[in-house]
Amino acid sequence: MADYLTFDRVTKVFGNVPVVSESSFSIARNSLVVFLGPSGCGKTTLMRMVGGLEKPTAGTISLSGEAVAGPDRRRGMVFQSYSSFPWLTVEGNIEFGMRYRNDLSPSQRTERVVHYLKLIGLEDFSQSFPNRISGGMRQRVAIARSLAAGSDVLLMDEPFGALDALTRERLQVELRQIQAEETKTVIFVTHDVEEAVFLADRIILFSSRPARVLKDIDVAAVLGAARTLAVRESQEFFKLRNDVLHLVRHEVDVSR
Amino acid sequence: MIRDLFVFRGRTSVRAEVTLGVLSAVLILLFWEAVARAEFVAPQFLPSPTKVLVALWTMTTSQHLLWHAGISTLRVWVAFLIAAAMAVPIGILMSSYRIIGASLEPMIDFIRYLPVPALVPLSIIWFGVGEETKIFLLWLGTFFQLVLLVADDMRRVPHEYVEIAFTLGAKPRQVLSDVALRSMGPSLVDNLRITLGWCWTYLVIAEIVAADSGLGFVIWSARRYVKTPEVMAGVVVIGVIGLLTDQILRMLHRRYFRYV
Repeated sequence: MADYLTFDRVTKVFGNVPVVSESSFSIARNSLVVFLGPSGCGKTTLMRMVGGLEKPTAGTISLSGEAVAGPDRRRGMVFQSYSSFPWLTVEGNIEFGMRYRNDLSPSQRTERVVHYLKLIGLEDFSQSFPNRISGGMRQRVAIARSLAAGSDVLLMDEPFGALDALTRERLQVELRQIQAEETKTVIFVTHDVEEAVFLADRIILFSSRPARVLKDIDVAAVLGAARTLAVRESQEFFKLRNDVLHLVRHEVDVSR
Repeated sequence: MIRDLFVFRGRTSVRAEVTLGVLSAVLILLFWEAVARAEFVAPQFLPSPTKVLVALWTMTTSQHLLWHAGISTLRVWVAFLIAAAMAVPIGILMSSYRIIGASLEPMIDFIRYLPVPALVPLSIIWFGVGEETKIFLLWLGTFFQLVLLVADDMRRVPHEYVEIAFTLGAKPRQVLSDVALRSMGPSLVDNLRITLGWCWTYLVIAEIVAADSGLGFVIWSARRYVKTPEVMAGVVVIGVIGLLTDQILRMLHRRYFRYV
């Protein structure tokens, strides 16, 4: 179970700048793992390597024992901006990835579109173009599109970074629900400590560039699995958030 | 009311804007008519707008003006379609594969700066004075501009779209057709529309130099006999065709790219 997604001495060098240095750890299936670290530390690069969008300079990343060689639909990306295709409706966006699967009949496709529209609560907006819906809705569409295509792992690169505080909070709660309901594995990159603690089953804290694992924090052991807004106001949450914040601050100060 | 129209960076209604546009055009025409009728300037230099209108009518009824206009339009579209059919795929390839872009860009940039009229003599040596010369000159004036515009459109397709498609299981060819082409669509059509306008510029040059038909020929032969109203009528026809084409293409753009 713990060997679902494994990182084996993963290293990345751009030109002669080391970005990720010998990182080894593994991620359990059906968990939400947050990559946390100072801005520009290499955590995004590490996640992009999971997606097959970058190749490790050394080491391997493998999913269910199979080394990642390039991008495919099992590992879907959700970006902060340009996350949905503007020329397709909400429905068209969700359906997009399924056109590359030949194992689904037309009726199965329609079924899936309906299912994911409902999951993200956008049934009433199925015919809207992305420029007519809010930023939060666009991020939901991006999540649904990946899931509809059949992703097992969602790779999210600061997906809520551009949203206002309230929308952001709501999407965090929804993401936890979706992840649990759909039993997916999520890697979520952020530099926002509060977001990290609220969302994560587990936080992997990275050092400044080149990224290496600084600390592995089991958040689920402290906060449990259910994350309601009440959790956000609990003593345990504040304490953990402060602890993690100190670790990050210390790392930023040291690297100056 | 009047003061509302003079707010710095203010807004006006569509109706007010149309009214203002028509009004100023009418005023200028009236002024022109008055100046021409008063004969401040010799009529062979400045005929009145009504004389131009009359010339337009007689040219249409007895001098095959519409046929000439048709010939010119046909030349523009043939050359434009050839240029577009070549420029779109080449431009896309230039931004898709660095090796193609790096090899072609310097050469295209050089040719782009050659003024088309400077190549007229060469073109006549190569192709004579037939249709080929006109098509070649129009193609020359548009292809090299358009190919760089297309390359730029392709380059501006957000890389996120490409990466999303790859992680949804698309192959490179599918990313090209399902994502890149769709994403660049609106700006591509805009650039095609602008380039089509340039075609008309080169058309007149080509028809003045070597033609016995077309609007450029009409304008140039009228000049020989100082039939200034006919010269102006020819120019007006080009303007009207240009305006109409542009409006139709804009309308199609609004219709197909509603999501922009």
